[in-house]
This record gives sequence, C-alpha cells and structure tokens, in this order.
Amino acid sequence: MVQYNFKKMTVVPSGKDFIDIILSRTQRQTPTVVHKGYAISRLRQFYMRKVKYTQQNFHEKLSTIIDEFPRLDDIHPFYGDLLHVLYNKDHYKLALGQINTARNLIGKISKDYVKLLKYGDSLYRCKCLKVAALGRMCTVIKRIGPSLAYLEQIRQHMARLPSIDPNTRTVLICGYPNVGKSSFINKITRADVDVQPYAFTTKSLFVGHTDYKYLRYQVIDTPGILDRPFEDRNIIEMCSITALAHLRAAVLFFLDISGSCGYSIAQQAALFHSIKSLFMNKPLIIVCNKTDLQPLENISEEDKKLVTEMKAEAMKTVIGQGGEATNDEGVLLTMSTLTEEGVIAVKNAACERLLNQRVELKMKSKKINDCLNRFHVAMPKPRDNKERPPCIPQAVLEAKAKQAAEKEKRNTERDLENENGGAGVYSASLKKNYILANDEWKEDVMPEILDGHNIYDFVDPDILHRLEELEREGHRQAEEGDDGFEMDGLELTPEEQKTLAEIRKKKSLLIQQHRIKKSTAESRPTVPRKFDKDRKFTTKRMGRQLSKLGLDPTKAIDRARSRSVSTRGRKRERSLDRDDTDGGDAMDVDTPNKKQRMLSRSRSRSRSRPPTEVVPGEGFKDSAQKAKALQKANKSNKMRNKNARRGEADRVIPTLKPKHLFSGKRSIGKTQRR
Amino acid sequence: MPQGDYIELHRKRYGYRPDHFERKRKKEARLVHKRSETAQKALGIKGKMFAKKRYAEKALMKKTLAMHEESSTRRKVDDDVHEGAVPAYLLDRDNTTRAKILNNTIKQKRKEKAGKWEVPLPKVRPVAEDEMFKILRSGKRKTKQWKRMVTKATFVGPGFTRKPPKYERFIRPSGLRFTKAHVTHPELKCTFNLEIIGVKKNPNGQMYTSLGVLTKGTIIEVNVSELGLVTPAGKVVWGKYAQVTNNPENDGCVNAVLLV
Repeated sequence: MVQYNFKKMTVVPSGKDFIDIILSRTQRQTPTVVHKGYAISRLRQFYMRKVKYTQQNFHEKLSTIIDEFPRLDDIHPFYGDLLHVLYNKDHYKLALGQINTARNLIGKISKDYVKLLKYGDSLYRCKCLKVAALGRMCTVIKRIGPSLAYLEQIRQHMARLPSIDPNTRTVLICGYPNVGKSSFINKITRADVDVQPYAFTTKSLFVGHTDYKYLRYQVIDTPGILDRPFEDRNIIEMCSITALAHLRAAVLFFLDISGSCGYSIAQQAALFHSIKSLFMNKPLIIVCNKTDLQPLENISEEDKKLVTEMKAEAMKTVIGQGGEATNDEGVLLTMSTLTEEGVIAVKNAACERLLNQRVELKMKSKKINDCLNRFHVAMPKPRDNKERPPCIPQAVLEAKAKQAAEKEKRNTERDLENENGGAGVYSASLKKNYILANDEWKEDVMPEILDGHNIYDFVDPDILHRLEELEREGHRQAEEGDDGFEMDGLELTPEEQKTLAEIRKKKSLLIQQHRIKKSTAESRPTVPRKFDKDRKFTTKRMGRQLSKLGLDPTKAIDRARSRSVSTRGRKRERSLDRDDTDGGDAMDVDTPNKKQRMLSRSRSRSRSRPPTEVVPGEGFKDSAQKAKALQKANKSNKMRNKNARRGEADRVIPTLKPKHLFSGKRSIGKTQRR
Repeated sequence: MPQGDYIELHRKRYGYRPDHFERKRKKEARLVHKRSETAQKALGIKGKMFAKKRYAEKALMKKTLAMHEESSTRRKVDDDVHEGAVPAYLLDRDNTTRAKILNNTIKQKRKEKAGKWEVPLPKVRPVAEDEMFKILRSGKRKTKQWKRMVTKATFVGPGFTRKPPKYERFIRPSGLRFTKAHVTHPELKCTFNLEIIGVKKNPNGQMYTSLGVLTKGTIIEVNVSELGLVTPAGKVVWGKYAQVTNNPENDGCVNAVLLV
C-alpha cells in the first residue's frame, strides 16, 4: 500500500549550500596530507580519490532528490492531477530532468578527469586537475540552482498538503463558495477549517475524520466552485474538480436555499448540471443548507422546480447503483449548520449510502467469493416458542439490591461533623484512617524523635527528686570539709614545694604566651592591607615621627625590617654592615663602602620618577589606572617569562631530545653534554 | 497533522504571541553579535569562507553608502563641453566627416595588416624537452632509451594510424588527446565548443607542431562553420586560427581565443 505522505522528503539545499556541503564533506572525509616526495602512483591515487569521492557524493544527493520526489505518472491519479494543478507538471518534470542531467554530467566529468589524472606526472599537475574537476562539477550544480530552489519550494508546499487516502471511505463536500461547506466539516469532524463570511475562504483541500457505525470516514472539504467553463477555472477551483473527478466518495452537493451566499438557487442549479458528469457512479446527496434563514417550504415555485429537477438528477445516481426509484430518502436533505439542525442526519445519510455502495461493489467483485465461503455466522434455530430468560434466584436479587443500597449510604466526614455538633465544634480525627496491623494502635501516642533519639528514653520522671538528693550529698561533704584530692603543700618538703611552684609558674607562663600568640596572629608588626591602601604606614614614616618626638628611630626600624614578611625565610645576612649601621660608622671614614656611597649619591641626585606617576601623553587617567595597567602587563608577561619566551611571537619548540645527545657511542663526554 | 497554511490561520485567529515582536527585535539585535562570534571562532576553511562572504557584504555596503553620499554631497560641476556635443537643434545635421572616414579605414587596414601576426599571447614560457617528453625504456633488459612519450595534451588528426609499435618513436597517449576546444570570440565575448582541425604552430618548435602538441600559446585551427562567419566576399568561413590560452594538461580542457 502506497503511503501518500509527502512530509518525509529530505530538504533540497540551495545551489550554494549544496556545493558547500559536498566540498566540505570531501575535505573532511578524504585524506588531506600529501607531499611532493610521495611515489607518483600514490599522488595520483590521492587526487583520484578526491575526485571520485566528490562525484559519489553529488550522485548520492542528486539521486535522493530524484527518488524522493514522486513521479506524477506512478502515483494515484488524484495526487497526480492535484500536483499538476498546483505545480504544473511540465515545470516539475523539467526540474527533475535537469537534476538528472546534472547527475549524468557530473559522472562524465569525474570519469574524464580520473582518466587524465592517470597521466598526471607531478603533484602540481594532479592538483590542478583535481581543482579543475571539482570546479566543473560545482559549475554544473550552480547552473541547476533555480531548479533546486523550485523543488525546495514544492517540497515545503507538499509537506503541508492534507494526507488524503484516495482509497478509503470518503465524504466529499462541494458547492458554490460561501454556502457553508467549511462550517459543516467543522461540525462533524475535528478539522479546524477557517470559516469566514466571504467567498473563497477555503483555498485548498482540507481533510477531517468522523465516525459512523464504528467505522472511520474521511471528510474532505473543497474550495467553492464557480459555474464557468473548465478552462477559465483557477487553481483553487481546480483542486475541487480534481478531488471530485478522482475520489470514489459520497458527494454532498451544498445548496444555499436562502441565497445569502450571493448566488441564487438558479445559478447553483446551473453549476450542478454543468458538473454532474463528475457525480457519476457516486452516491450523491443534495444538502439544502441555511434553513434557519429560509425553510425549504418557503422558497418560490420556480426555485422549487429547480430543486426537484436536481433531486431527480440525483435520484438517477441511486437508480444507477441498483437502488429503487421510489426510495428517495437521503437524496435531498435540509439542515442548518448554524442551529445544528439536521447536521447529524446529513452525515448519517451520506455515510450510510457510501457504505451501502461500497458493500455492494465488494459483493459484485470476483474476489468476494474467496472470502464469502469462509464466513459463517451461526444462528441457531429456536427449538420451540417458549421464552427462556436467564434465571436469577430471588435471594441473590435481594442481596444485590441490599448491597447497592449500602454502597450508596456511605458515611462521610461531613455527616460525622453534622452529627457531632457541626463545624467548629467537631474536629476530625486523622488517626482513625491509619492503616495498621492492629486497630487498637491507632490511638497510641507517637514517640517524639529528636536527633535520632527517642525523647522518651531520656525522660526521667523522678529527676527532681534525685537532684535534691545530690545536693544534699554535696552539702554534707562540704560540711565534712574534705579537700583530699587537691594537692596541698602541707605534706611536701620545702624543696618539693619549690619545684612545684616552679612547674606551675612555667605552665602558666606557657599558657599565657600561647594565648598572646594566638590572639595577635603570630605577633608580627603588620598593618592589615585593608587599612593601608596607600601604603602610608611605612618604616620611613615611623622613623620620621619618632625623630620628631626626639627619639632615635634606627633600632625600631631595624626591628620592623627584621620581622617583615619579605625577610622571613631568608638566611642570615652575608655582611654585617646592612643591619648595624653603628659598625659602619665606626669604620674608617676614608674608605666609605659602596653602600654608603650609593646612599650619599642618591641624596645628591634628583629622585627618579616612580613608575606609576602619570606623564601627560601616555593616556592614563590617574596613577591608579596606570598602576593597574602595569600590573596587568606584568601579569601577562609572567607566564611567558616563566616559559623562557622572548616575546609573544616566540613559539619555538626546542629540540626536546637532541639527537647528538641521545645516540651514538659515548667515547667522549656524557649523555648530557658532549 | 496540521494542513494548509496553519501558521497564518493561527495568527489570524489568535494574533501573534505577546512577546513575538520583542523576541524578533532582540533576535535581530543579537544577530550581529552572533555573527561576530562565529567570525572570531570559525577555523580553517569554514573561517575563510565566512570571512570572504562577510567581506563581500561589507564591500557592497560601503559602495552603496558611498553612492548615497555622492547624491547628497556638494561637488564642483565640471563645465567642460564634451567632445562632439551638439545643441539639440543641430542634432540631426550631418557633419561632413567623409574624409575622416576614409582616413580611418586606411588606418584600420594598416593596423590589420600589422596585426595579422599579433597574437593575444605574444610570449610563452619555453618548455624543455625533458618536461615535454618522458623517456620510456625498451628492449629485453630495458636498456634502450629511444622511445618518448608526450606528457602534454596533443591533437591527433582523425585519419591517424599508428606505426608498428615497435618502431614508434613518439607515443601520444590516447588519454591526453583532445579534439575539441573552448574557443572565445574576443569581440562577441562568448565561448563556443569547437572542433580542432589542426595545429598550426607550436611556439616551442617545429617538432612539436608536427606532433600536434597543445601547450599554452599554440596556434590551432578550429572549425567555425557553426558560427556562420562570412568573409567580406560573402563566402562562409569554416576554418579559423585560435591561440591556446591555458595549459590543457593541467586543466583537462583546451581554452583558446579566436584570432580575428
């Protein structure tokens, strides 16, 4: 069974995308490294592979396009014609033909160039040939760009076509525009077709499904048809005509008897007669819609005559199918989609007649004999005329009735509340619905658990009593005045007492020291950075302040320096002159050491600019910004410096394992150095 | 399954999502950033392709901007009178330029005569013999080296019969034989796929001419009967010379310019 589902066709890429897809695939999926020194056969093979691979991909892609688009001659004539109406068969075939030609051309190009590559005698020539081959293939695809775009548009449109199965039970609704076709389909199915009070609201076929007698029926809503020659009809009308012509369905011809659609009954009758050839061999029902505006009885005599004519015409289809001429029910029906009067009747009549017709057709076909002899529905003949109803004992009946009554009279919580004093007084017990092994447990007190312990385990009912006892005991002991445990110096010799005192003193001292250390955080003379953002608390400042007070600051400064973080972990100073300047002073004046000379020079020379000072023209806002910039620059250099790079462009990978150090005999030198 | 124009229908019924336009605007605003991100991140061939596309877009944008600017900026109007500009009331007067025409035709003729030997590619790269030929070894021990195979594209006439292979000195491989050329008419600016009639001259030497080797700069004779060219006398021209403009062995086809 062919599935008429055009939703699964793969996307047709545009010409440019197509080329990109294929070329990048070639690039990714064939080897890319080749060298001049390779054997020529290897070079040729390398480039031949590229050419062939590209051609294969093109071929594959184009083939999927050709295969996936339906061939208009092979599919059901309904779809064939519909696609022709919508997309123009010639254009469609031409586009697919162009794709096919492109496929062949690409195949030929690939063959030619592979042949030429066999004579390639250098990497350059092979590469040139490959480039030329791929270029020509791409040109071919570029030429069919418009066809690809057209096919992509068609694909997108086809995906939105309703999935109509041309062979199943179908009810087809047709008629003039604006006569209530779409509102009818909305009433009987879940298809959500737009209904508007103007003509040609429905511009294409719509499908919905409905049930009748446990069977599923496909209901098709068609755009309205105007009464004009076949050639003048537009695409929208042609959709309806195609459906009418090719689908074996029950046809509902909608007639607006009120004339509110803008067409008189005479016009509608004319349309009916002009397309009646399409109703041949199909169950046809004429539906008079909008009876809420004007009942069928109230129309004029002429119109009534037209309607009866149409009815007679429709009756022919009944007779044509072997029905009785007198049986005219279900041929002319009235309904109003607004008031929903007669809608279901119309649906039922249509389904019924369609079903009858299909069954009759099946019965007439040759195949049915193969099936019929397998069917057998057993209908046992009655033995006599006696009625034999099922026998149910009276007791059972009573019991059943009782059970039913009991079931109804369930006591709810509300009943209980009303019984026990109403709302506010009665409090519902949650415990009574517990499901426990024993019903008696329901009212039990629940243990309270805290930190994984049952609190009750720790409750001592006579704790107060015991406390009292304990206190009494304490008092008694105090009165007796024993401090036997506390060691007193009374029994000790004076020497021992002395050592004891020393031990205690030492101990307390240790504790005190420890506490101090702990509280002052290693007792370093630091000012937290938080309070010293501008680095104001310097030794220099301290020195200045001390000297202002008239004190010698050197000692204090030295001490601070010796304990500063930067000197921590340092080894002992090499020379003495750094930290005791006194010694330096005491030295010979004629040969002042270098350090002192430096100091004196620094005094005489003008101070150099600190790096963070802002110089006009550098582009910094303030010193803070400059400092930040400097810091950032340093930070960015840090890794580079660590890796021993010259600059950011230095990407040298040194010879990690120099050959001369790791191979050969070692007559002279060592592994590391020679 | 939705059918028909279901999106439009939904919009018609319920309108756009409340944030539809905002989302659209934001998406659009974000697009530039997204594109710049791809531009910065894309590597390799993808990056190159993207950069090329973007460059083309930008160039086009700049051009259009410049064009718009041109219409709005003030410029000096050049008041020079164009050559041959005539006021409207003199337009349909014939200037007597007869003498001039004569003069021109003479000049043209002279030029033509001179141009008969002027070809589009006057200079070509000389091709050495070892590039042109590949030495094939023959003999039982493969010691003899007198056989040569042409490594360039060749033209071999339709009536060519091989000599007995044993004595054939020059081999022109059938894979490298071409019978058709893409010939461009320099004035019509269009290209035709024409049959080659023969090789007139290979600039590398007489031997190559006789062998029919097609290299860049070779003059070939092509069949132009399809073009329907007519001589001044009214005869149909069917053979014309053309010069090869590419390296056929590298491109897999022969491109030539018609010498008119």
